[in-house]
Amino acid sequence: MNHILVRTVVVLAWLVLPAGIVYLSVGADAGWAVFVAGLLLLLGYHARNLGRLLEWLKRPDPDTVPGTIGIWDDAFAYLHRRERRHRQKRKRLRRLVLRYGQAGRALPDGVVVLDAQDRIEWCNEKAERRFGIDAQTDVGQPITNLVRQPEFVDYIVAGDYSGPVRLRTSRESGLTLSVQIIPYHGSQKLLLARDVTQAERLEAVRRDFVANVSHELRTPLTVLVGFLETVRELQLDPDRVRSYLGMMADQANRMQRIIDDLLTLSALESAPEPPRDERIDVHQLIERLRSDAEALSAGQHRICLEVQGDFDLLGVESEIAGALSNLVTNAIRYTPAGGEIRLLWRAAADGAAFSVVDTGVGIEPEHIPRVTERFYRVDRGRSRQTGGTGLGLAIVRHALLRHQASLDIESEPGKGSRFTARFPGSRVVARQTSIHISA
Amino acid sequence: MASSEHLSKQYDSDLDALRSRVLQMGGLVEAQILTAVEGFSTGKRELFDQVIDTEPRVNGYEVSIDTDCSHIIVRRQPAATDLRMIMAISKTVTDLERIGDEAEKIARMSKQIHERDRLQPQRFGEIRHVGNIAVQMLRQALDAFARMDATQAAQVVREDVTIDDEFRAIVRQLVTFMMEDPRTISSALEILWIAKAIERIGDHAKNMAENVIYIVKGTDVRHTRYEDLEREAKS
Repeated sequence: MNHILVRTVVVLAWLVLPAGIVYLSVGADAGWAVFVAGLLLLLGYHARNLGRLLEWLKRPDPDTVPGTIGIWDDAFAYLHRRERRHRQKRKRLRRLVLRYGQAGRALPDGVVVLDAQDRIEWCNEKAERRFGIDAQTDVGQPITNLVRQPEFVDYIVAGDYSGPVRLRTSRESGLTLSVQIIPYHGSQKLLLARDVTQAERLEAVRRDFVANVSHELRTPLTVLVGFLETVRELQLDPDRVRSYLGMMADQANRMQRIIDDLLTLSALESAPEPPRDERIDVHQLIERLRSDAEALSAGQHRICLEVQGDFDLLGVESEIAGALSNLVTNAIRYTPAGGEIRLLWRAAADGAAFSVVDTGVGIEPEHIPRVTERFYRVDRGRSRQTGGTGLGLAIVRHALLRHQASLDIESEPGKGSRFTARFPGSRVVARQTSIHISA
Repeated sequence: MASSEHLSKQYDSDLDALRSRVLQMGGLVEAQILTAVEGFSTGKRELFDQVIDTEPRVNGYEVSIDTDCSHIIVRRQPAATDLRMIMAISKTVTDLERIGDEAEKIARMSKQIHERDRLQPQRFGEIRHVGNIAVQMLRQALDAFARMDATQAAQVVREDVTIDDEFRAIVRQLVTFMMEDPRTISSALEILWIAKAIERIGDHAKNMAENVIYIVKGTDVRHTRYEDLEREAKS
């Protein structure tokens, strides 16, 4: 303030000085005229700069702050500095907001921010996809207008957010979500949607497994016990007893097969990673598979071999042989007489693949993801008739998984199936030409 | 001045609440169809019972929303968009209630089929397929209603043609079943009823979509050619 007062006095002094000289040398009128002209100039200077300030305020930008001389220059300099600092702060804030937004978007869970009236304020991409909402256009829409599952609406209406609610979405087909609302900052709410489809499926598989084992063992056991009682209680002629004993032996064998398969599975599960330096002669193995297949088919199917590529596998021979022969046996079982079964061994993208292609009954698409589950059966009656335990493909998948290989299933009902075991490059080596190298 | 502003705010929130309730009813009806169709495919008894037990709740929604509509008309004397909205809601609720009835019908029929167990409905995947289309149409119609989106509503109207085609395909297939084995006739007829119910759901969803266009554009697009309707929706 003082500073400005001093400067104003100095400027006035500069005006008074020439006016005084003219007053003394020329006359009073001329002196006053010079003074007034000076004041007018000063007024013009102020008016011009005020105009520039107003003009700048319409579009404030630190780079176009006007520059001038005198007191106004100081004012403009302050303005410039202030505006620059503001701009930096804004930039920092914007970066911060952006980073939080990106963090929210990157979350694996769906996140929706709701206001006090349960209207959507913000949501991330996952939530957009899971609930079919649009982060741009659906802001302000009550969440229950778009997520309309009765369970969810009841959850919101009840207002008890102590636990999550399970929802099945029909938008992204067959997804199960665990949705939880977390109130924060007074009346705001955060909605989290976690995908629990996988967890739920695992839970179901485990539950089914125990139930299935008991069921699969109980059925033959019931038959066995029934016959035992009959034989013990009744006087039967020896022929009848013999036939009963035969049936009992069948059932006992069946139980034994199931238990053997279960033991194989659990051995596969607990065994250490298969070695990478044991070579499996695939050509020999496939040849053996073919002769086994011909024996099993007894001339009812045409069996072709297509071997392209000279490579072998690294791993445990008994496991791989068991897995592949299981695929071949299945193909023969599920292909009617007169059908064709092809065994293919060839190079595939980054590794090698063994396929069994049949012209059999095929598998309906809804069963394909589940056929490798334990005891899962497409057609119960048929599988038992042909002597299956329901564990074959589960064993195949496990044995392959241990060798980092995968099992692909393609099938068309009525046309046939193709089971492909894909081995990664790390398990495939060039075939040794010499038959045997002694160490 | 302040009091009239307060009143109109109250009015807006009344309308919003009404819309939300229509959408809640829609969600319930959607779940009913899904459960009924799943029951048809899996034959699980508890699913049929669930649909049949929930049906009164759908009816309750219809009655209470209709009452609210008349209350708003009497008390607020709505005009223009608001009036169109109330009229359309009243019609939409009727459509939704009918869809609820169709879902119940599907559940009852499926129950009978599964009790008789002659045609294997599991094998009849087309019902599930056409059921999914119907549910999707209903969902889109409800989404269009929530967002007041005439373009999306026009898409629903177009979908209805697909459902009609699928229905005719199912009829042809059932006719061949019945010719092959006359013992399947009664089950086949019941499956036909189910297919018809689903086809009706499609029609109701279409009506709802036309109501959305009516609210947004103010023109009645019932019984007009699809091209005209689409032009109207996009205008």
